[in-house]
Amino acid sequence: MQRTRWIGAGFLASALALTSCTSGPAGADAKQDPKAQLELWTRTTPGGPGEKATLRLVTGFEKATGHKVKVTAIFDDFETKLQQRAAQRNLPDIVMNDVTQIGAMHSQGLLREIDLSKIENSGDLIEQGRDSGKGVDGKQYGIPYSAQTGALLIRKDWREKLKLDTPKSWDDLAAMAEAFTTRDPDGNGKKDTYGLAAPLSTKRGYASWYFSNFLWAAGGDFITETGKGTYKPAMASKESAEAVRWFRALNCERKVVQPGAVTMDTPPTNETFEAGRTGLFVVGPYLMPRFDTSLGKDKYEVVPMPEGPKDATVLAEGGAVYLMAGSENRTGQDAFAGYAISADGQRLGMQGEEGSTVQLPVNKTVDVAEVRPDPRWKTYAEVYRTSGRYAPSVPNWTPIRQASAETLNALMADCSLDADVELRELDEKLARILKEQGIAG
Amino acid sequence: MTSVDEVKPVARRAAGPSPRTAHGPAGAAGPTAGRRVRSRRSGRWWTPWLFLAPALILFLYFKFIPMASALTMSFQDVQPYLGNRWVGGENYATVLSSDGFREAAWHTLVLAVGQTAGSMLLGLTLALLMEGQGRRISFVRSAAFLPVVVPIAVVAELWRIMYHPTEEGMLNSVLGLVGLGPSGFINDPDSSMVSIMLTGIWRGAPYDMMIFLAGLAGVDRGLYEAAKVDGASRLQRIRHVAVPGLRAVLSILFVLAAIRGLRVFTEVFLLTNGGPDGSTEVVMTVIYKLGLEQNRLGVAAAGAVLLFLATLVLTVSVHLFRRRGNA
Repeated sequence: MQRTRWIGAGFLASALALTSCTSGPAGADAKQDPKAQLELWTRTTPGGPGEKATLRLVTGFEKATGHKVKVTAIFDDFETKLQQRAAQRNLPDIVMNDVTQIGAMHSQGLLREIDLSKIENSGDLIEQGRDSGKGVDGKQYGIPYSAQTGALLIRKDWREKLKLDTPKSWDDLAAMAEAFTTRDPDGNGKKDTYGLAAPLSTKRGYASWYFSNFLWAAGGDFITETGKGTYKPAMASKESAEAVRWFRALNCERKVVQPGAVTMDTPPTNETFEAGRTGLFVVGPYLMPRFDTSLGKDKYEVVPMPEGPKDATVLAEGGAVYLMAGSENRTGQDAFAGYAISADGQRLGMQGEEGSTVQLPVNKTVDVAEVRPDPRWKTYAEVYRTSGRYAPSVPNWTPIRQASAETLNALMADCSLDADVELRELDEKLARILKEQGIAG
Repeated sequence: MTSVDEVKPVARRAAGPSPRTAHGPAGAAGPTAGRRVRSRRSGRWWTPWLFLAPALILFLYFKFIPMASALTMSFQDVQPYLGNRWVGGENYATVLSSDGFREAAWHTLVLAVGQTAGSMLLGLTLALLMEGQGRRISFVRSAAFLPVVVPIAVVAELWRIMYHPTEEGMLNSVLGLVGLGPSGFINDPDSSMVSIMLTGIWRGAPYDMMIFLAGLAGVDRGLYEAAKVDGASRLQRIRHVAVPGLRAVLSILFVLAAIRGLRVFTEVFLLTNGGPDGSTEVVMTVIYKLGLEQNRLGVAAAGAVLLFLATLVLTVSVHLFRRRGNA
């Protein structure tokens, strides 16, 4: 009996010993081998069109440069799986993921700095795209290979039936949303249509993500830069508060946002648009193939967002190539980044009807119309160049997006709340987050 | 997930109280001691361990090691590549002082109590209605069990559609028939919590029903008849015969339901994600947001350890309470 108990204790002790040996300092620089196969991870559904598109791009790269690449597509828990590989000190060489991940990956030490002079074609990058790959310290940690931005989708048949013009200002936009809600644009005699489709759930910060398109156009901001790499909260500023008031009125006074918006993320919101419940939607180009099939290409149109109190700024996003730390083939990494943004790489990336790696090109010399003659793509590309704005590259953008999404969600759900009080509280929260990340100033 | 495995032992235990009390400690001591002496003489000490080894090795690698590393992670700033940094109780401080954690703990408690009580009550009612051997009734029973089998993601989507906040919404059109105005359900901070609770009860009740049914099967039919002969009404028979016979089942169910309640995540995450206005934020959604969405695994581990401790305290206290009740 005594002995068996000791064995039990031994089991436990060995368990503890095993777990404690997983931590230690990061390894030194890896020995270089310019012929080593590159391992590439991309955040897309395995076996889906996105993976096929990546494989097309990679084949082009292999042909052009002679490097060898192994592609792994992962969608669910991408970041967690990357953490696991980080724990094994064996990161993939290249990661293609959302550009907003730059802060988190950099602060975890997963990225190596990129010397732009070693990246071919880096001079052709559109400026705001190139800058989105910079860390909070101003150094380059990512190379964007694809961009996207929001434009306004309008139910064309509804607009024509009600004899309205495309909106030129926010007032026009609000008026159109109101007309879509009250004047029975689908002519079924029922009051079952709404103006603006809006995903306002707190999930992944959707409310804040969607609202950026309105906040920035009003001259407001979540946080503003006070110096080199330091920020202060700005949600209680006059401009931000005005944007919040206007946006909130859409739901609380005019009641033109789809019901249930405060618990909806994008999938159910997309459905309201394609089911003919809503007539206005600010979204990226990636939804066009879907709406073309479900709704019909002739039923809706794509126009730039009308100018707000300040301008027509909309949220820009996209994917970036990250060159991971500890790679034994840095030459290969650099070559891949260079190829992905080259004119050939961009054109190849744009191919594919269902899924492509490149939405809008980030290379100045590439015209989207070369590959995609559809004029709506041209609209998106124009919007991106003139009005696209990325979220700032702070160490961790997620808490800022979450905190602002929670406040916005509260304000939209409960029309009796005092907006000024809530926004001041949000600013206090943001100030704490900035301090925690060491970028308060 | 757990239904079949858990129903069986409970059923046995539910049927068990009388034999257990019949043995008594004095009667059991003699034979056990004798067996122990015999096993030491004839068998090798490691034989039982050998038989246990496959299970123990699996447990070690898939349960104990991850649990231990979660515990260590809860005291670290987790940066797998740069090396984890020891930060002491900082993660716990972050969790406990984070906005809305206490509010979330309160919500979790409310939700756990409401769902536990609701599904046990409904489960008992269903069990009493569906007790019996008939073929038709077993079909109805299977039908009633369906909500437990349906994946929670489907359940959440289903209820989201039913909770549509305008007059055309499914539940709202029913409410409209009896003259009640359209409710916002999950979209209104005032009704969101109750709506989630209702979904939870709908899903949890059939599971409880199954366990109650197993317990009811162990109640001696003779007692019902005796009570009937004594002139007890149907309600009295339930109160004085069925419910006391279900005591063991009730406490097991209570523990299971309470643990389920404290860990509630998926339905909240899918229906509201803690919104609107934080009215349905629960401990697990806070942990998810802090730890996984913001990629701060140390903080998430600290939250999980806290939740584990709460569950442990609850389980142990129910156990002690029960033992005192039996003595």
